[in-house]
Parts: sequence; structure tokens; C-alpha cells
Amino acid sequence: MTFWLRLNMFFRSFFLQSGWNYVRYQNLGFAFVMMPFLRRLYKQDPDMLPTVLQRYLEAFNTHPVMASFCFGAMAKQEESVARTSAVAEYKEQVAEWSGARRGLSITAASIGDRLFWGTLKPLTLLLAVLIWMTLDVNFFEVDRPGSCSAWYAFSAGAAAFFIYNSIALFVRWQGLKIGYESDEKSCFGLTRFDWNRTIYKAKRIGLFCAVGLILFGLYRYFGRMNFSLEFMARALLAAFFILLSFLTRRLRIPNVYLYLTAAAVFAVACMI
Amino acid sequence: MTTSLILLCLFAALLEMDVTYAFQTLVSRPIIAGPLLGAATGDLMAGVQVGVFTELLFTDISPLGGIVPPSGVVAVTIPLFLHSLGVELYFGFFLGVACSVLYSFFDAFLRKTRFTWLIFLEKKIGRRPDGITPIIAASLLLSFLMAFIFISVAARLCAQLMFVVFPYLTPKMHFAFRLAYMAVPWIGLAALIPTFRLKTR
Repeated sequence: MTFWLRLNMFFRSFFLQSGWNYVRYQNLGFAFVMMPFLRRLYKQDPDMLPTVLQRYLEAFNTHPVMASFCFGAMAKQEESVARTSAVAEYKEQVAEWSGARRGLSITAASIGDRLFWGTLKPLTLLLAVLIWMTLDVNFFEVDRPGSCSAWYAFSAGAAAFFIYNSIALFVRWQGLKIGYESDEKSCFGLTRFDWNRTIYKAKRIGLFCAVGLILFGLYRYFGRMNFSLEFMARALLAAFFILLSFLTRRLRIPNVYLYLTAAAVFAVACMI
Repeated sequence: MTTSLILLCLFAALLEMDVTYAFQTLVSRPIIAGPLLGAATGDLMAGVQVGVFTELLFTDISPLGGIVPPSGVVAVTIPLFLHSLGVELYFGFFLGVACSVLYSFFDAFLRKTRFTWLIFLEKKIGRRPDGITPIIAASLLLSFLMAFIFISVAARLCAQLMFVVFPYLTPKMHFAFRLAYMAVPWIGLAALIPTFRLKTR
């Protein structure tokens, strides 16, 4: 795989989910990403391309960042399919290609969901909130969020954006290369990294930061107040909703519904 | 108001594309979209506050498999638009969150119906492989248009609703929505701890 071909596939990988649907998921995007490679591979036999493309239009669903491992590995497998001459061997290679695609997409999705959605995204959120709080941006005060320079206001979001994307882009770019160069013994390069260890460590950092942020938030929220009725009311509100959030999490009720219900209940109670 | 609303909704629809259909660089996440839209509507700090609150509130829902989470962009755009019209953030935030939940149902419906016309176009790809790029472009354009229509209609309806209801809102109602709004960061922060629970080993 040449550098320019890899670059082309890399840019196309940003549109993997453009045709997302509930029946074949990312199939259209998958075919779109693989198109430059397939066109190059079947340059001598362009009549084969529509038949080959039908396989790529079957159901495919994985994590958008980790998908690059699938693209590299499927390119490698497709080369084996293209090399076959006998019908029986062709069928065997196609079956192997299908199995690898299914297995790899599920594994990559599992790692990607835990790493990017479950760990990196909340971790960068924590980082952004900590930066804002350190820069004295007090968003806990409903009446007066205060004011700060545009630089301060954008800095936290920008830090979260750059950290998330530096990791995501690295995985997207390297995944293509590693997936293509590896074989099924190393699960097409997925076993090169200790994902579980990385996720475990990142989650541990996140847990410490989350607890620290809550304590910091409590200090910022209550630290400048005297012990009064307002202080008590605020403390009760915070404690009540923290406990309620834990409870609704156990009941698998999203926080969005907790907030909407709380607002509706408060409104009705105030009307009565 | 109409021109600024259209421009704001175009910008929001562009950001909404980043959520699923193109790039996924997370420029659409509320902590980034909030300050951007806040700057566009003239109150940067309101953008920061609504952005942080929205992201904290949505922490516990991830787009795993076929789950369509509530849209952070919709939840940020509507309160900031209403705030620019003089509506308090706590009322706007409630409407924004409700609209973002509605948008997730709308997007799920689009994803279901998209297959019916995609299956017809896929047959064309089988005959002419080069046709895949226009189909991707058409799919993106359609998603963008749908997001734009939803956000602009929702923002307009919410503004109309607030103008009708606002004179009848008693101080008690203000207190109720303000209280719920004050609870948002605590609900979100509490949700962060279970997010980082160590179940990977």
C-alpha cells in the first residue's frame, strides 16, 4: 500500500458513517473508503469490480476510529482473494475474508467504544472543566457565570479537542498501516497494543480526577459562603441530586430524563 | 431575527454533521460547540456554561451500536438562541434538552428510512462503482438539510412558545426551573464516577 493510497483511504475514513442505516450500518461508507484500493487492485480486470463491491456493501458496523484496523486488514485479505485462480480456492478466500471482517469489526468496536467513548471523551471533559475552574471560570453560579477573556473561554475546549484528536488521528493513520502489515495471528495488529491496560490506567486517572473535581467543585461552590440557610439549601440540593444520579444510574435511567423530570416536578410543586 | 436564526441554524447543522455523518472530530461536543455558538449569539460565558452543563448531563449516554444519544448541538443551540432574545438560560436549557431528546428520535427515524432509498442506490453502485461518491455526497447533504430544518423549526417554535408563555410565568416557576438548572452540574459530576469504574480487568 503506497503512501498516497493510504492517505486517500485515511481522508475517506472520515465519511465512514455518512450512509449509516439500521439494516447495513456503515456498509456504504466502508465501500467508499475501500474504493481507491479496490480500483487499484483490480486495475487489470475492471469488470470484477462490481462483483467485488457487492461484498463490501454487506452489513458492517464498528467504531469509526478503530475502523482503520479493519480497512488495512481487509485490504490485505482482498489481495489474497484477488490472487486466487481456482473457483474452490476463491470461495475459500472469500469465506476467510468474510470471517475476518465480521470478527475484526466486533473486536475493534468493543475496544473503540471502551477507549474513545467510555474513557477518552469523559477524561477530556474532566480536563476541560478543570482548566476552566483553574482559570476562575465559575459556571456553577447560575445568575452570574462571570466573565473572562475569549482566550480563556476557548482554551479548555481547545485542549480537549487537541488531546482527543491527536490520539484519534494517530490510531486512524497507524491502524491502516498496522492492519495491512499484520496477519490474523496478531488479530491484524490489534494485539500489538495492550488496550485493556491502557483503558484501565486511563480510567483510574479519570476516577481520581472525577473525585478531585467534585471536591474542588464543592470547595468553589460553598467555600466562599457562610453557614446560613442558603448554604444549607444548596448543600442539600447538591447532595440530593448526587445521590439521585447514582440511583438512576443503577436503574439505567439516563440523566437527561432525571433533569427533565426534576424540572417538571419542581414546576408542578411550585404551581400547587 | 430571521437572518441571524438561519445563519445560526446553518452553523449548528454543520456542527451536527460532525456528530455521526462526517469527521467525528468532536468539534460538535457541547464544551466546544457551546463557546462557539455563545460567541456567535453574543454571550460567550453563557455558551461556556450551557456547554459544560450539557456535556455533563449527557455523559452517561454513548453512541454504542445503534444507540442515538440526544444531540448536544441541539441542546446548546436552542438555549443560546433563546438567551439572545432575552429568555433566561434555565428556561432555554429545559427546552433545549427536550428538543435534543426529540432530535434523537428524529435521527433514529431517518436512519431507519434511509435504508429504503439506499438499497435502490446500492443496486446502481453494483452496475457503476464510480457512483458511490455522489451517493455519499447526497446522503451527507440530506442529513445536513434534515438537521438544519429540525433545528430551525425547533428554535422558532421554542421562541414562539416562550413569547406566548413568558408573561404568565410566575416567580415560583422561575424558581422551579432555576433550581433544576442548578442541579445539572451535580447530576453530571456524579455520573462521571460510574463512567470511570474499573471493570476492564
